[in-house]
Amino acid sequence: MTTVLAWATLSICLILTAIRIPSAVRGENRMMFVLFALISLDILLSIEEPYLLIDGWLGNFNLGNLLLRFMLYGTFLLMGIKVARAFGSASGERAIRGPVGLAVLGATGVLTAFFFFSMDTRDSTVGLNDLDQGPALDLYAALGRFYPGYVAVCLIPGIWRSVRGSGPVLLRAASATLLLGLALLTVSQVFPLIPLSNTWLRPLINYSAALATALGLGGIWLSKTVARRTSRTVI
Amino acid sequence: MSLPSKAFQRWLHGIAPNTSTADVCRFSGVKRTTLAQQLVRGKVAESSLVSISRAFDMNPFDALAQFEAYAALRGTPVPPTDAELVSQVSTMDLLRAVVEREEPREGVAPLVLAETPHASSVRNWVDAIDDGELRHRVSDATGIAPQNFSAHLTANRLPPELALATSRAGGVGPAGGLVASGLVTEAEAGWRPGARRDALDRMTEGELALLAGERLQALGKALRRHEHELDHTNRIWENLG
Repeated sequence: MTTVLAWATLSICLILTAIRIPSAVRGENRMMFVLFALISLDILLSIEEPYLLIDGWLGNFNLGNLLLRFMLYGTFLLMGIKVARAFGSASGERAIRGPVGLAVLGATGVLTAFFFFSMDTRDSTVGLNDLDQGPALDLYAALGRFYPGYVAVCLIPGIWRSVRGSGPVLLRAASATLLLGLALLTVSQVFPLIPLSNTWLRPLINYSAALATALGLGGIWLSKTVARRTSRTVI
Repeated sequence: MSLPSKAFQRWLHGIAPNTSTADVCRFSGVKRTTLAQQLVRGKVAESSLVSISRAFDMNPFDALAQFEAYAALRGTPVPPTDAELVSQVSTMDLLRAVVEREEPREGVAPLVLAETPHASSVRNWVDAIDDGELRHRVSDATGIAPQNFSAHLTANRLPPELALATSRAGGVGPAGGLVASGLVTEAEAGWRPGARRDALDRMTEGELALLAGERLQALGKALRRHEHELDHTNRIWENLG
């Protein structure tokens, strides 16, 4: 079930990336192409087979996981700035790229690396599932959830205003999907509270969050295309 | 907010005994599937009744009056107040009236008012009969939440039953809301031809200028809101599209 969801998410992200190629070649909004490509790479590195392959190249001591963490931080920094600016949320943008936001990002990055190298990380294992459990691993995992959650919280108010506004229906639906993805990321902060018998919930929430976020961003682009096309027919 | 199927069918049989439903729909321009659905659900929309009565050369206002929920429309018609009449003059016509009054020019054709309803007719009508407590009384009488009532005004629509309740709460004749919402025309509602124009002429220059100013202010606000929303949408598309 989770594997299907993971691969489905990856294919959708790859399709969305491919759709952005023509406009990226034309030089329109290249950042969105980079963002979709980054999301696809993030998903790729979180699936077992590709992870084991790539981590093998990197020396088999789970450096791939650290790479994934840093790529996720980059993805969320980029997405945070873009989305906050798009939804006209000046306070959200300040909280992400202002001194506080960069300090949060820096601290998260340094601590992530610190805990990673403090652990015995030999033998590739996706999501570090087979490493020895311990406080270092818990903190490492919590940090990985923290920064995306931080960005999500900064973005939610601005998007919520748009969902409740009176813009085009498709745009509002896409914004709501994006909002759902970000809300799920916020929910993921409480993963340690999920009982061990229900750990399957974690990947389900993670991949649903990624899927909703990607679909929301894709939907916004679609709503623009649809609006441009209808206005052209009217004229 | 609708007419019972049974009563509607009895009425339809009364005005067009030998016409099939298909023909009724063809003459009146009401979509056949729409009417069929309304009949099945037991709730026929007032707008269907209006279109059909017009197609059969019957006054829709009188047709409505035959239904129990619209019994208030029966009897001697209550003429509209001046405030109601002026509220049904569009903002642009009101501005033209100011210009005509203040700077009359030779050889310029006199102002002919546009047909009812206009772009903000519902809100203007409610404002015209509101003594400050109207919304409370409507909300008490019908159970509609004040914010839902406001939403109707903003969207410039007013369901017929709510229109009746509002005129009752405002202490004016029952027709005003039906005209303001565009369900029936002023002529169908029995308003005298030229009544709106005469009401305008009875206003003093000062009253006219003040009212035009208020309307222009409201129009400006609505346009700004719309532009703001458009900017917001374009900004999202520019950044994420």
